[in-house]
Amino acid sequence: MVQDFAQPILNGILLGGLYAVVGIGMAMIFGIMRITNLAHGDLMVLASYLSLVIISGLGINPFVTLVIAIPVMFFVGLIVQSALINRVLKKGNEPPLLVTFGLSIIIQNALLLIFTPDAKMLMNSLSTKSIFLTNYLSVPVIYLVDFIIAVALILVFNQFYQKTYLGRAIRAASDDEGAAELVGINTRRIYGIAMGIAMVTAAIAGVLVGMTFTFYPFTGTQYLIIAFGVIVIGGLNSLLGVLVGGVILGLAQLIGAEFVGTGYQLLVGYIILLLVLVVRPQGIFAKN
Amino acid sequence: MGKECVTIVINDIRNYKWFIITGLIAVLLTIPFWASNYTVSIFLLIFMYLALAQMWNLLAGYAGLVSLGQQMFIGLGGYTLAVLTELYRAPLWSSILIGGVISLIFALIISAPIFRMREAYFTIGTWLVAEALKIFFSNWGYVRYGQGFFITAAYQLTTTHMYYMAMVIGLGSVAVVYIILRSRLGLGLMAIRDNETAAESMGVEVFKAKLICFLIGAFVTSIAGSIFYLYQVFIQPYAAFGIDWTVAMVFIVIIGGIGTIEGPLAGVVIYVLLRQYLYNYAGISMLVLGLIAIVLIHVAPKGFIGTLQEKLGFEFLSPRRR
Repeated sequence: MVQDFAQPILNGILLGGLYAVVGIGMAMIFGIMRITNLAHGDLMVLASYLSLVIISGLGINPFVTLVIAIPVMFFVGLIVQSALINRVLKKGNEPPLLVTFGLSIIIQNALLLIFTPDAKMLMNSLSTKSIFLTNYLSVPVIYLVDFIIAVALILVFNQFYQKTYLGRAIRAASDDEGAAELVGINTRRIYGIAMGIAMVTAAIAGVLVGMTFTFYPFTGTQYLIIAFGVIVIGGLNSLLGVLVGGVILGLAQLIGAEFVGTGYQLLVGYIILLLVLVVRPQGIFAKN
Repeated sequence: MGKECVTIVINDIRNYKWFIITGLIAVLLTIPFWASNYTVSIFLLIFMYLALAQMWNLLAGYAGLVSLGQQMFIGLGGYTLAVLTELYRAPLWSSILIGGVISLIFALIISAPIFRMREAYFTIGTWLVAEALKIFFSNWGYVRYGQGFFITAAYQLTTTHMYYMAMVIGLGSVAVVYIILRSRLGLGLMAIRDNETAAESMGVEVFKAKLICFLIGAFVTSIAGSIFYLYQVFIQPYAAFGIDWTVAMVFIVIIGGIGTIEGPLAGVVIYVLLRQYLYNYAGISMLVLGLIAIVLIHVAPKGFIGTLQEKLGFEFLSPRRR
């Protein structure tokens, strides 16, 4: 019994780290601008494909592709925010939502045209390795790497928000846009940079996801829902909440799969998420 | 001078409105008698997508409910039709209607939790329900997992039959939205759209008004979905519960004009013709439609028709009484 569940629990926790990386950028944008970026998952998959192209061109390790993918995705975010989203921010809730929805469809279909619907993966030596703890329990190395990077990323973000001018400016703009402008913060520019940073996290998530699982042009939707789940379960107030949200979602999926079969793995996650939405739409760990 | 001419033409149109509408319907009724099979099927698609878009417009454009989960009702309608006709040899008509009723009941059940969610939460909440159904159906032995069904009952019907069914649901959806908007409910909806808090304090039952729209949307969307699957014959969970349905609704409504009855009419023609024109390049047509939609949200947020109406100060199917 214990042996049956030890492996899914371990995998669930580690997978939760990956989910946290997927969700952290969307949580940031949601927290700052109160907009839901429906293209977040697709932009992440875009980064996976970007990494794939770099690997096939230069034949380098997926991690090294981040040197190119991170700056490229930062500019993608900056452009998306300043060209598409900033202009409709003041026009109510629907326009930004629908703009990002349109962007999501454009990215999916562009990827489909360029890369065909075939499953792709970022080949690496880690994804097949496992560390055996006992005869029954092993740690998939790539999951462990995902989790460590997630924790590191969250620590870096924490320092960034606390210690840097930019981080404080972003927090100020999210607390009170008017007041932030009064003290000389250009909120539109801050929003652009914030989206750029969110896309940096999407680039990291995209490479990790690509190394851990296969991906297709339409996988973005699945990760959008995971990112949203991380936000809803973890709440918007703390970076730790993002990690906890990811871990709960990961655990729910893998333990659920143990009970009802792997076919229902995603379904269990979705149902947990719906339950949370109904009971505590502000998130489990939200303060109010 | 030019402006006066426009005003005269508009007044003429206004005076002969019902005459024009009757004439148009008469022409549409005769299409299967003289047009090619291809043309008939194009009109059939236009009518079906019109019904879907009108319902999405009723929700997003009037009731403030941006749902990305309308495909759940298409899937439920299509699957009810498939299961009842294939497994139980039930008659076609009652299967379609039962599908509508099942969607209605399902909408009623999920409305309790889903209406607690606001704005973006509602949007993704509805999407989640549809995605959950998609996974559930593809793992459910009773509906043959992801294999799907051939709806053989559809072979009884000709394209002409289906054309008239689609016409009824397409034009019927326009009539339903028109009647709703001219009713007390419609007045309430517009009050909610302008200022929800004020409307509520003036006695508009916000929850009830939104719920009624959601239920009507579920029923009509489901019927249109069943008719679509009669035409398509083959149903499978990933397509039936896929987001593509809602993508079509969103693009049609945004391109035509959100919050106008005429908007989806124009949007659906553009949508269907563009999809047909670029039939062999499915990805490209979605790409082009996505670009058009994003550009329009920026430069003409009311779509082609909404912008035109603003310029001319004239609505053909105005929900307001004069």
